[in-house]
Amino acid sequence: MRSLLHLLLIFVVALILGLGTAWHTIEEGSALTTSHVGPWSVWRSAGKPDADPYTKAHVARAGRLPITASTALYFYANKDEKGEQLSSDCEYVIEGQPLNAAWWSLALYDGTGRLVPNKASRHSFNRTDVARRADGSFRIVLARSARPGNWLPSAKQGSLQLMLRAYGLRDATSVLDQDAATRGLPTIRKVVCQ
Amino acid sequence: MRTFFVSLLGIALLAAFIHIIAVLTLPYLAPKNAWARVSALSEPNRMVALPAANPSHQSLPMMAPDVRYSVCRFDLSKGAVRLSTQILDDLWLIAFYTPSGENFYAITGRELKRNRIEVIISTQNEVGVKAGASLLDEVEDLIVVDSPVREGVAVIRAPLLGPSYAAQTEAALKRSSCGRHLPGS
Repeated sequence: MRSLLHLLLIFVVALILGLGTAWHTIEEGSALTTSHVGPWSVWRSAGKPDADPYTKAHVARAGRLPITASTALYFYANKDEKGEQLSSDCEYVIEGQPLNAAWWSLALYDGTGRLVPNKASRHSFNRTDVARRADGSFRIVLARSARPGNWLPSAKQGSLQLMLRAYGLRDATSVLDQDAATRGLPTIRKVVCQ
Repeated sequence: MRTFFVSLLGIALLAAFIHIIAVLTLPYLAPKNAWARVSALSEPNRMVALPAANPSHQSLPMMAPDVRYSVCRFDLSKGAVRLSTQILDDLWLIAFYTPSGENFYAITGRELKRNRIEVIISTQNEVGVKAGASLLDEVEDLIVVDSPVREGVAVIRAPLLGPSYAAQTEAALKRSSCGRHLPGS
């Protein structure tokens, strides 16, 4: 009886460990599959026919059809510069230099991946419709109530996610390189919380 | 003490086994993968312009609100499929996927340098290089894509250069088509 309980315990612990680590590596990624650049993470092989099993599982679970890195890159963020969860209770400033891409778009989603309803019907800013400074850099304010300039309306409650799509990135490999990327990708800075 | 270490080893081995099985089977078990979602949207070999993503509806998860999408779920079991569309901008992109979401081919408007294209999707060695070449002579706007799978999805992505481009882009996507390719017709 005791040895049976012992075996059962081994099985349960192994099940929790096995499924837990599988879930974590598929959902959050690991050094093997994802690169982190400031607050942004990117699945390097998403969509590639020869991608590793973790990336394939991630893509299947996400239910998306990503384009491969040679044509487009998807940068995902659900945390700010300091690693704190993006929340609609807070106001954020997203500042970036001109990205060396044919086109890019920064879109806001709620915690479940839905677009955030707002009267302005504004869900994203992209290379063509963001207001830029003379040097090409831009500043987007993520807040609940209207702000001058590029205002991305935030949700009434809950967590937030950002997706930055870069089509035709001219130096995809250097963007994945830490130093170049920290200069190239936008920063997400928390300003104030309610 | 010995039992303890044997147990630890057993846990580690079993956990690794479960981990590997879970990761490898997930792509086949995920009930709402992109293929399932696209299959629910349309019959095979039909072009469907997806409604613009809005807060209450998205055909696929985390779609870009400023990109318009059109999808064709192709089925090559009865022969090649022909996709034709206008290309309004260099940024337009046509990507081809297997049911598990592998992007086996992509063409961008920039590479095409023309404003209307016809794509023949066929399984490997079906249209064949020779047939493809002669077709290319006939119509220079024709591109032959060899598909590694009988069933898959083609996705046209049309980024909006600004909100005022939405109507024009959506209209162009509605005119794009997908259907059985009947040689000679």
